[in-house]
Amino acid sequence: MKKTTTAKVVGAALLTMALAGTTTVYAEEQYTIGIEQFAEHGSLDNCREGFLAGLEEEGIVEGENLTVEYKNAAADMSMVGQISSSFASSNMDLICGIATPSAQSCYNAAMDKGIPVIYTAVTDPEAAELVDDSGNPVGEITGTSDKLPVAEQLEMIRTMLPDAKTIGILYTTSEANSESAIKVYESLAADYGFEIETTGITATADIPLAAEGLLGKVDCLTNLTDNTVVSSLPTILEMANEKNIPVFGSEIEQVKIGCLAAEGLDYIELGKQTGKMAAQVLKGEKKASEIPYETIAESSLYINSAVAENLGIDIPEELSGSAAETFTEIAEGK
Amino acid sequence: MIDFIITILEQGLIYGILALGVYITYKILDFPDLTADGSFPLGAAVTAALITRGVNPYLTLLASFAAGVLAGICTGLIHVKGKVRDLLSGIIMMTALWTINLRVAGTSNVPIFSKETIFKNSFLEGLLPEALLPYRTILVIIILTVIAKLLLDFYMSSKSGFLLRAVGDNDKLVTSLAKDQGNVKILGLAIANGLIALAGCIFCQEERVFEISMGTGAIVIGLASVIIGTSIFKNLSFMKATTSVIIGSILYKACTAVAMRNFEPQDMKLITAVLFLIVLLISMDRKKKVKTHA
Repeated sequence: MKKTTTAKVVGAALLTMALAGTTTVYAEEQYTIGIEQFAEHGSLDNCREGFLAGLEEEGIVEGENLTVEYKNAAADMSMVGQISSSFASSNMDLICGIATPSAQSCYNAAMDKGIPVIYTAVTDPEAAELVDDSGNPVGEITGTSDKLPVAEQLEMIRTMLPDAKTIGILYTTSEANSESAIKVYESLAADYGFEIETTGITATADIPLAAEGLLGKVDCLTNLTDNTVVSSLPTILEMANEKNIPVFGSEIEQVKIGCLAAEGLDYIELGKQTGKMAAQVLKGEKKASEIPYETIAESSLYINSAVAENLGIDIPEELSGSAAETFTEIAEGK
Repeated sequence: MIDFIITILEQGLIYGILALGVYITYKILDFPDLTADGSFPLGAAVTAALITRGVNPYLTLLASFAAGVLAGICTGLIHVKGKVRDLLSGIIMMTALWTINLRVAGTSNVPIFSKETIFKNSFLEGLLPEALLPYRTILVIIILTVIAKLLLDFYMSSKSGFLLRAVGDNDKLVTSLAKDQGNVKILGLAIANGLIALAGCIFCQEERVFEISMGTGAIVIGLASVIIGTSIFKNLSFMKATTSVIIGSILYKACTAVAMRNFEPQDMKLITAVLFLIVLLISMDRKKKVKTHA
């Protein structure tokens, strides 16, 4: 009688071990996530790539234990809402919203279903009401901000152009990110002895006239991450070059095609950082509401020496020495 | 699946109110009114501005309608008094409204996540039984759409509504009744844009955000809904045109939702255009037949 019990216990123990073994080996957690990207745009594409790379570093690999449904809203607001609702109604483990309108819409659709949302490329999460006044997530939503390193940019411009007084900024009135970036510029400019002159446009068609007017009033231009302006950058560069006015960029791609320099963000890194946050949420280590939003810790300096030569500017050694990348030729703009 | 259908119904019914407005201008007045692309976000801008200032969300429905009425009156005045062509009057107002919307809302993106809306407020939560709470959005939208439709039906059967219908079909009749057809047109545009702004108001609260670009393409969605609705249900004489138009809007949203599952969103505009063209061609075909019989 006693013997059989022992046998039963041993048998049960063996069975449990066997079962435990199988769970760890075969039943690895499978995840399904949706990625909604607001528009087709170089920086946003980099965010998405980085996001998947960040997940991969944490062992969540697309095609192995991760299924990704990716939708691009082509900058259409009614599309944004429909994509978010369709993600929210198909039982995703997590939704990633890239750029402000997508982040807001994903959160709106997912909040009642309890699906966590991770965002990236949101310049001002507070203005977007994704965090409260004290910087904490408003719900199961967190992510990364692509706030521009404005102080670094101003310091770099000051070093590069010791005599410059006025910085011009061209922006689109319909882009909330640009408006909040300008506020930061205006509040910091005086610290570096600059004045900021801005001109708002409503569409690509306004750019030639607006740029012409602005270039007459400023010593240099600096770019934001304004989608409309950045996509017309070649036009602006050509007009600025005629007047020998330097244009500073906000990211690596802009320096490649002819901006003098930029203290910019590496959007792939930003995406990776976001991917790691998503991995924590997926693995259940933390809830999205427990993770504060992050910004990228350090900006990188990009310089185009060919542009400097054309403008007749000598790049101070302290800048050329600290540049993350220096381009020696001007790439053809798209 | 049930969630998928509810989403289509929500979107279809909200845009159904917009389609009612487009129905008045396009079908009744025969006026291609592009003001819609501006008056839809106008409703949203007014809503976001009022809600962030703590105004009761239900009042925003009236305020948005009133704002839309004003926009419609402006388009009407430009056309009737300024003798500017119909298409151009709409384009002028649509362009002007871009700035007005930005000014009203204050900025291009206004979230209202933390505020009470017509869908989420303590009054509604106290009113509805717990089991119905998950469906409150669709319930509120159904109620609002039905009210908008019934009020429009009621208006259309009144004397003023009769004159409105006459302006599009037979403007001489209006003149013979000693009524100014210009004023009737302005009235029609006012009501139409009021409804469109009302749709913008509801959409803004459903999405819980105002975004300046939310009106882009509103007129296309409206026209497609009107044409789908009126051509499919043409032979069902018991069905009111307003009902057909709302069903048209739901069908249109269903088509885009299904297309979105199978195509890339980047291709959606082309798919929309093709869908639009097909419906137009089908409905034109029928018109020709009618003419040859006559």
